[in-house]
Amino acid sequence: MKFCGGVNRQRGFTLIELLVALGIFLLVIGAAFTLLSTSQQRYRTESQVLNSFQEARLGMDQMVRDINDAGFPPPSFANVDPTKVTTAPFGWQPGYTVPAPCQIGATCFTPTDFDIIIETEPNPVDPACFPNCQVQWIRYQLAGPNGTTLMRGAVYKQAAHDPAVDTSSVLVPFVENVVNNSPNLQIGQFQLSVAYPAVFPGGNPVPIFQYTCEQPSVFPPASPLPLCVNAGPDNSPLNIRDVAITLIVADPSPDTVTGRPRLVQLEGRGRRINPNQ
Amino acid sequence: MRALRPIRKRRNEAGIALLIAIFVLLLISVVAIALLVSSNTESALAGNYRSSTGVYYAALAGVEEARARMRTNDSNSFKNTWPAFYPAPGASLPIGTVGYVLNPSPTDNAGAMFAAYPDTEYDKEFGPGQLNAANVQTTQSVWNRNPLSGLPFAGPFYKWVRINAISEKSLNLDVDADGQADSITPLYYDSANRVFSNNPGVGSQALEFTALAVLPNGSQKLLQYVSATATIAPPGFQTITPMFMAALTLSGSNGGGSPAFQAPANNAVYAVQGVNHDCSGNPAAGPVAAIGVFGDYTGGSYNSDLNAIANGIPTSAGGPPPTNPQLNYTGNTPPHALPDVEYLSAFPGTLQSPAQVDAFAQDIIQNAVASFVPAGSAGTQQAYLNSLGMSPANPVTVIASGDLNLTGWGGTGYGLLLVTGTLVYDPSATWNGAVLVIGQGQVTNVDHGQYQQINGAVFVAKTRDAGGNLLGGSRIAGGSVSFDPPMQGNGIRYSSCWVQKSQPIGGYKILSFHEVSQ
Repeated sequence: MKFCGGVNRQRGFTLIELLVALGIFLLVIGAAFTLLSTSQQRYRTESQVLNSFQEARLGMDQMVRDINDAGFPPPSFANVDPTKVTTAPFGWQPGYTVPAPCQIGATCFTPTDFDIIIETEPNPVDPACFPNCQVQWIRYQLAGPNGTTLMRGAVYKQAAHDPAVDTSSVLVPFVENVVNNSPNLQIGQFQLSVAYPAVFPGGNPVPIFQYTCEQPSVFPPASPLPLCVNAGPDNSPLNIRDVAITLIVADPSPDTVTGRPRLVQLEGRGRRINPNQ
Repeated sequence: MRALRPIRKRRNEAGIALLIAIFVLLLISVVAIALLVSSNTESALAGNYRSSTGVYYAALAGVEEARARMRTNDSNSFKNTWPAFYPAPGASLPIGTVGYVLNPSPTDNAGAMFAAYPDTEYDKEFGPGQLNAANVQTTQSVWNRNPLSGLPFAGPFYKWVRINAISEKSLNLDVDADGQADSITPLYYDSANRVFSNNPGVGSQALEFTALAVLPNGSQKLLQYVSATATIAPPGFQTITPMFMAALTLSGSNGGGSPAFQAPANNAVYAVQGVNHDCSGNPAAGPVAAIGVFGDYTGGSYNSDLNAIANGIPTSAGGPPPTNPQLNYTGNTPPHALPDVEYLSAFPGTLQSPAQVDAFAQDIIQNAVASFVPAGSAGTQQAYLNSLGMSPANPVTVIASGDLNLTGWGGTGYGLLLVTGTLVYDPSATWNGAVLVIGQGQVTNVDHGQYQQINGAVFVAKTRDAGGNLLGGSRIAGGSVSFDPPMQGNGIRYSSCWVQKSQPIGGYKILSFHEVSQ
């Protein structure tokens, strides 16, 4: 027993050895857990980012589809019931009921950089409404608290009604955290225009909607089409052909490593194919 | 015992290392899997938007192909490649006759396209069971025809394009304003008033083009056009008739170049008459000028150019006794001093510069359903003209991209004649319709014999230099009409009826577009 015990004591660990082993073990475990918690955090924010961006992509897809379809069916399809055919591919205010088109970028309250009303019949043979399906006004407007929510609303067109008034009461949140018009919005501790000078050139808001106009008064027609604001006498919602869409969406929680707000910029383009009214 | 202890100790240490290794490996795996999942979702999201856009353009390719091939001058026109379906001239496509352009991919079973990609939309428009009852015709897309079928890559992923007539009922729209969307007769498009009608007399038939695209990943899209042929008109006009404000219109400007006119000096009967005639040659209301000049003369006077034109008309010819050919240049009321040579101050401002006038000619060249005269000898060109089968009932838009030589032809043309080079006229030739000489803007002659004439109007504008380059600036150069002294011929007699009949017809214009919800 003595012999054996002696050997045991000799082969055992000293306190120092134990402490060093424990220290190394704690270091390894600590590093492992730090890695785990960082990745968990990263995973959480990534999923949030993905959700925001998925929302933005679906929103972009829907907007492009609505704009492609704008102006269906054109007035040539019937000359009687104004609720069955479009008056124009895009609604406007003021002067829609007169009708007297306004000038984009000058006298229009809508369409603007952050507001558009599409006039179309999304599904003429929809079993839910057939055979009395009507033309709708579909509006996208940047609004909500801090002006960071893109709202969408659709309402049936009614004769002698103002599309901007009718749609204003049916808008619901569509894409959130849209920061096109919030260059100085505080997300985390950063000003977006300072953190992302390339996304917000000059610290200015970035229009969601940019319009090009057909120029019926110019011959031969310009190619590519000019922006509506440069189209002179043809600057009118009646002549809008392309709508270039830029969506800048921020993740509500900042990047865990840099602390910066996280942005994604989506570009899309809708082209009205229906003929000029 | 001594020998055993170290072994036991080693075992213990090895166990701990294994445990730690497994634990760390587990952690790393969790992190790796999380990253993998997140990047997978990310790429799937990006892919959705991509395929949605891709399938949209694939379907658009389908409707565009069908729309283009409805034109008779398309190289793959249905008129030639699908005569069983294509309506004869003047006939319309009945409701219930349905054509499908099939575009199977290499992986599709070409014989069972409708089993794989059924058309459920037709019955929604025309009523249950209507597709089964329809007369269905099929043809192959350009991607399955020579030469594109030989390409080493697949064409766009549209599966079929349906072409059919439409009715009030199928559109679910009350076109005839009787309060009901019930009529099942085909619809026609009145391009002047931009409305649909049940009356075949108002214009061409409105056809519906529906394309289904399906990507290999399963994304689907159904797009639909309603389309009809429409006339091509100069900017600002619904028809080309108002563009002809004179029997002979010449371009010219202050600084750009003066118009030139030289009548056949020995010909006592050569006349340019602005007095209107109907298609039978009887006088009609609505005279225009005999010779008119348009163009930008700001900062100067057009009087000297008008005088030069008048001086190109002999004051005495023929006989004995000789007559005064200047009296043959009659036109506008109130009576203008003869010869009636006028400046067209009301000519539209959108058709003044070389670029504008040339763009109008290019519009016809690119968009009109037209026959192109080949370059070559006079014999080649005239044989081509004879082959067109032009008649009062079949006016043709004839385009010569370059010179056209009518010397010795002696034939009769009906329709619109557009020449971008020099028109070598022959008084043995008759033309009923509008003659546009835009580009080099030059009319001459070689042959002298016969007394035939142009019934309609002639428009001569110089928009390009001798090398074919478009002239710059806003001031157009001078058009030139110059005939030999001995040339015979009766000249030009204005006829708004023939001008109207020669109106060029464009391809199928999009009247409506929408994506069909599925």
